[in-house]
Amino acid sequence: MAAIDPLVRELSQIVGPDAVLYRREDLIAYECDGYTVRKQPPRAVVFPSCTAEVSAVVKHLHERHIPFIPRGAGTGLSGGAIPLGGEVIISLVRMKRLLHVDYENRLAVVEPGFVNLKLTNAVAAKGYYYAPDPSSQYACTIGGNVAENAGGAHCLKYGVTTNHVLGLEVVLADGEIVEIGGVPDTPGYDLLGLLTGSEGTLGIVTKITVRILKNPEGKKTVLAYFDSVEEASRAVSDIVAAGIVPAALEMMDKTAIEGVEAGNYPVGHPKGLEALLLIEVDGISAGIDDQIARIVEVCQNRNVSEVKVAASEEERARWWANRKTAFPAMGAISPDYLVQDGVIPRSRLPEVLEKISRISARSGLRIANVFHAGDGNLHPLILFDARIPGETERAVQVGSEVLKACADAGGSITGEHGVGIEKKEEMRYIFTDEEIAAQIGIRDVFNPQNLLNPDKLFPKPGRCAEMRTAPGEAR
Amino acid sequence: MAAMAITKAITVGKIRPAAEPLHVLGNHGAYEVFPETEEEIAAVLQAAHAHSLSVIPMGGGTKRGWGGTLEKADILLCLSSCRGIVEYSPGDMTVTVKAGTTIREIAEQLAVHGQMLPLDPFWPDAATIGGVVAANDSGPKRLRYGSARDHVIGLRVVYPDGRVIRTGGKVVKNVAGYDMSKLFIGSMGTLGVMSEITLKLRPVPPCQSLLLLAFPNADFPAIRSFVLAVLDSTMEPVSLELLSPALHQAMNGRDGYALAIALEDGEKAVRYQEEWLIAHAPPGTEIRSWRQEEAAHWWSRFYRMFPSGVSPADRQAAEMALKIGSRNLDVLELVKTCHDLGERHGLAVEGHGGLGHGISRVYVKGDPARFAAYLQEVRTAAEERGGYAVVQHASLAVRRQLDVWGRPPAGFSLMQGVKRAIDPRQVCSPNRFVGGI
Repeated sequence: MAAIDPLVRELSQIVGPDAVLYRREDLIAYECDGYTVRKQPPRAVVFPSCTAEVSAVVKHLHERHIPFIPRGAGTGLSGGAIPLGGEVIISLVRMKRLLHVDYENRLAVVEPGFVNLKLTNAVAAKGYYYAPDPSSQYACTIGGNVAENAGGAHCLKYGVTTNHVLGLEVVLADGEIVEIGGVPDTPGYDLLGLLTGSEGTLGIVTKITVRILKNPEGKKTVLAYFDSVEEASRAVSDIVAAGIVPAALEMMDKTAIEGVEAGNYPVGHPKGLEALLLIEVDGISAGIDDQIARIVEVCQNRNVSEVKVAASEEERARWWANRKTAFPAMGAISPDYLVQDGVIPRSRLPEVLEKISRISARSGLRIANVFHAGDGNLHPLILFDARIPGETERAVQVGSEVLKACADAGGSITGEHGVGIEKKEEMRYIFTDEEIAAQIGIRDVFNPQNLLNPDKLFPKPGRCAEMRTAPGEAR
Repeated sequence: MAAMAITKAITVGKIRPAAEPLHVLGNHGAYEVFPETEEEIAAVLQAAHAHSLSVIPMGGGTKRGWGGTLEKADILLCLSSCRGIVEYSPGDMTVTVKAGTTIREIAEQLAVHGQMLPLDPFWPDAATIGGVVAANDSGPKRLRYGSARDHVIGLRVVYPDGRVIRTGGKVVKNVAGYDMSKLFIGSMGTLGVMSEITLKLRPVPPCQSLLLLAFPNADFPAIRSFVLAVLDSTMEPVSLELLSPALHQAMNGRDGYALAIALEDGEKAVRYQEEWLIAHAPPGTEIRSWRQEEAAHWWSRFYRMFPSGVSPADRQAAEMALKIGSRNLDVLELVKTCHDLGERHGLAVEGHGGLGHGISRVYVKGDPARFAAYLQEVRTAAEERGGYAVVQHASLAVRRQLDVWGRPPAGFSLMQGVKRAIDPRQVCSPNRFVGGI
């Protein structure tokens, strides 16, 4: 048996022997996150239980130039928590307390390992909730949400994580602890906004203050079935053009519907549908019926085959369970799937969906579309079979082509899943070398030795970028 | 030297020695330059960078008295000619505008399609979107709609060396790379010059009303419990702004503290909320209400109460404005403290603050020699509650006598690092921001 890595002993002295994993069999679970196409074990995994321990671990690693990766529940879909060679994973799952709720000021303070849905559950009795609701909210942590600037189905009206984070305690790359934000518009550059969504490359979040919202007085949910993807897409634009801001506006295409109906939460959608829309409106009850009437009218103008309003909370919950488990449900119709996360201007839905279906036909891989139509955030699920040689690579290639189509339509390569390792090269679809270099210039301020989650987010530097950042002063 | 460098960068007709050699608010320039395109902005900055000249960007000039101790930079970069809508897609509810476009002009163009920019900064007739975003200005309606950081989805920024860097994008949801736009929002022109700004929009609500609840007895416990009841209810007020007695007097000729509650929604929802608020108001409350255009008119008067760089010259020098940030409910106590301190210091103080969003503002008139002592006490009161107070408007002479930004915030060394990374030669708005950035 190989000798134990001396680093493991050193880390054990900081966090205790029961808070370090290093045996090969224990590291397997940390070879990847929700992006499973690439796997590599970390050097070790440490589980600090407080900010001081995070800081001490980081200091130790920093002094020895050992790279490290912060990790929450590992539900990320872009490989942001996957080691690429010799990193120590700092898992925040033991820091999972809800520290404080202040209903008067509508905020909650949590540790990074606190699970997203638990926050809503904790404040539900008083009629409050935490708005960002990624589909993995039953498992994902708020620390991870901050790192990825996570979204969710209800972000159309209420915004993504960055719109709800009020303050952060952060351990920087050298172990220093800083508290930023806390009150609105704190003088100085908006470090809070910069850190949110930085995918663990600028600091490790150890305490988070978030906004909590009062539950809306009323809520109604509509399900609309269409015989044509194009008509459904046009209905999406029409709803927005009618001056309605739905809380959520979700779409599934034929293949996605086939998947969810074969999964654990079938609704009993009619057979042969081309597309469905799940539309939710919330707010002051007195105004909701008018909005629902408008939505129904818009759908009818777009030749909806059936449109219905959820008759009960149970029915509404069933529709949402069906939608929110769409990704795993694909397992029922395909051995493997890869989820993509492109964004387009919603007015260009029909043409981009058409392009995606051509990419699918050309590649021979089926693509299921289930997505946040209201904000143009597509989630094409590329179905493949990893046992067939070459098919995984083909799926990855198809994903990249889909993102190119989104970028060409004036969109983005990721709406909520992050760049991670998956979409590093695709950053070039939307940013010039110079723009990427400008972002790396900011990373170097926070993470000058590139020890914090190295080799994520940015493509290998282009020649031109290297040249342009080098006036010697930028570092 | 400076003149030669700039004349090579931009057509002679777009550059002139400053019409007035000095300005009471400072933040002036030896030369005034009027670029009309992004290429011209870039050319000017490139020349400035090459020759280590200083540049202060300016839109409508409403925030000229905000920060900075410079009498003048080498160049005052006037962006008022960089105006207009670049791209507007009503179906996507996004708009891209040039930085020098006024808030009013944007509002008028969007209204044609029943949409709006959900920002209500001060002096919308003169304030430009570039200035509003650079200063992160906002109004009472941020309670419901949020502030610039919630609406800006992408920027084109001319870096201090003339490079054009895009941040974000043109879609409403986007996490590709760092959220670089956030760095420039509220950066006070110290990191470059924004040339184009892309924003998320909202539909214009079909119905709006304003309830003004006046509390002649200044019964603070009663006001507090009413506000808490509103915040804990399912009502969705767009503003919940506390007005100090002097501001209430100036706006409506009545005495005592008041709450300005805006409601914007469908008609049924607005009426229902009006009824709820009236039914739950504390006994003895005097209630007035305005609807539609009348409500809009009240707000447009409100947005002009603020001393600014477009106020008459005598007001510019004799008035000071403070911005205070705190926890939401602390606004109640802080607005009262500002009022009480005004009486003690012999200064006329009009104040207001958002219960539910945590930003308060105070307008101070009187002997400028007393401003520093007043600021110090307000700042202490804010800091005791974990907040801050900064000077949003004052003459250069006053700014030089007091500390505009207060002590450097947490993470200040990172901010200095950001400045060094983007503007190593300190071309853009040197010394205008917190801690001398």
